[in-house]
Amino acid sequence: MYFLYFDPGLGAMIIQTIIAAVAGVVLFSKNLMHKIKVFLGIAKAHKDDVFDDIDVKDSDSENK
Amino acid sequence: MNAKNPHSSSFRDPSGYVFIEGGDIKRAINPIYFKQYKALTQSGFYQGLIKNGLLISHKEVSNSDETIVLQADKIPFITYPYEWSFNMYKEAALLTLKIQKYSLEHDFTLKDATAFNITFHKGKAVFIDTLSFDFYIENSPWRAYKQFITHFFGPLVLAHYHGAQQLKMLSNFIDGIPVKMISSMLPLKTKLSPLLYSNIHLLAKLEDKHNEDYKDEAKAAKLSKKGQFNIIESLYNYIKKLELKETSEWGNYYDKINYSDEAFIEKSRIINDWVNAIQPKTLVDIGGNDGTFVRKLEHYVETALVCDIDNNSVDLNHKTMKMNKEEFMLPFVLDILNPSPAIGFNNTERFSFLERVKVFSPEITLALAVIHHISLSGNVPFHNSALFFSSFSKYVIIEFPKREDSWVQRLLKSKREFENHFDYYSIESFESAYGAFFNIKQKETILDSERVLYLLETKS
Repeated sequence: MYFLYFDPGLGAMIIQTIIAAVAGVVLFSKNLMHKIKVFLGIAKAHKDDVFDDIDVKDSDSENK
Repeated sequence: MNAKNPHSSSFRDPSGYVFIEGGDIKRAINPIYFKQYKALTQSGFYQGLIKNGLLISHKEVSNSDETIVLQADKIPFITYPYEWSFNMYKEAALLTLKIQKYSLEHDFTLKDATAFNITFHKGKAVFIDTLSFDFYIENSPWRAYKQFITHFFGPLVLAHYHGAQQLKMLSNFIDGIPVKMISSMLPLKTKLSPLLYSNIHLLAKLEDKHNEDYKDEAKAAKLSKKGQFNIIESLYNYIKKLELKETSEWGNYYDKINYSDEAFIEKSRIINDWVNAIQPKTLVDIGGNDGTFVRKLEHYVETALVCDIDNNSVDLNHKTMKMNKEEFMLPFVLDILNPSPAIGFNNTERFSFLERVKVFSPEITLALAVIHHISLSGNVPFHNSALFFSSFSKYVIIEFPKREDSWVQRLLKSKREFENHFDYYSIESFESAYGAFFNIKQKETILDSERVLYLLETKS
């Protein structure tokens, strides 16, 4: 059940299928390019980064 | 009706509301949200988020048929999205996506994605709206998707193309920047990017088309979970790589200013002597640049607010804070000549900077080399700035650059024929104007410079 206390936007709901498809292609091609670069040895090493990956580390979340 | 007195910013979501009791932040949950709350608690979902530092921690303090009351960890000072630097904004956006992914993996979803659900605490962004979660319904699109675009993605992309000032727009658009506006402001070439085209331009077009459409088609819209993961991950990767194209207003400030190494060390020595004597738990540094002087303090403070007008300085401070894993530092962007106003319904949804800093009441305010900017760039008379500085802190440390200082000379020269208007800018009139509000406890000239440090105590 959702509480409709703000308008999610009808267009925004419908469009998500299209965006997801585009996102899928983008993700796939980026991954592929990265793999090719790694294979050719031209992928950049990860520099100091203050932001981590999207995934919450399993080791932390599993012992809930 | 609500039994307790709800916080003036907490009325949008019917699931519950925030109230303040005996100085503690509490959250009442209405029966309409009991089912969700129980599932979120019993499945260990809340615990997982809290353990990973993504959600502010809470404990249940009472539980009845009418209401469940939670008490949340208290955050000493809330910063708002329009006060974040570019990388702070990025961190908040990434946190939202991370939480949404984690939620989906546990069959929950974020039912809203406003930027005001996040603030900075103990050196990192944290989600503060405990009741923003709902059950995930199989094959349903993300309801908060548009909100994410108007609160996070849009402003960040605008800042990338037009500078960090764009991030301040949320103070005018508390519900997010209209998609159509974001789309119209982006350069034409962004239409060639599949990701920007679909998430912004196409979204703007479709929103416009369905603007007057009230048939309940939204319910019919379908999106697989995999599809939603794709959207979230592609946005995450894009935002993570997004950078600003501008250089700092101050640049390498400490290389440019007229401080010899000795003067710099001396300034820090004097400030340390004074701060050590007062032993403050809290302080605010107005015009604190990248936090250099606060980091030089020997005395440990629990919370140090370090604000600066320049986005890049705050960004640098944020980065340093992350690298050092500092918890006491709270950087944010603030123009002291135009501090954040109170906004929202009744002007009480988001508080002004002055209201918040008065509640925080830092024991010491540092105002190092800002008085000449306030007085000469901002045309603010000494009387008015003294009134401002005396309104929230007991002690104020002010660094006063004399007329002979080269920065002051530069600012005066820029006034051209109006220069005589600033004849009052002298150490004598400074002392007499500030003397009306403060007792001068200490005064020391920094050797090898044209600058004087004051320790002032507010007259009660």
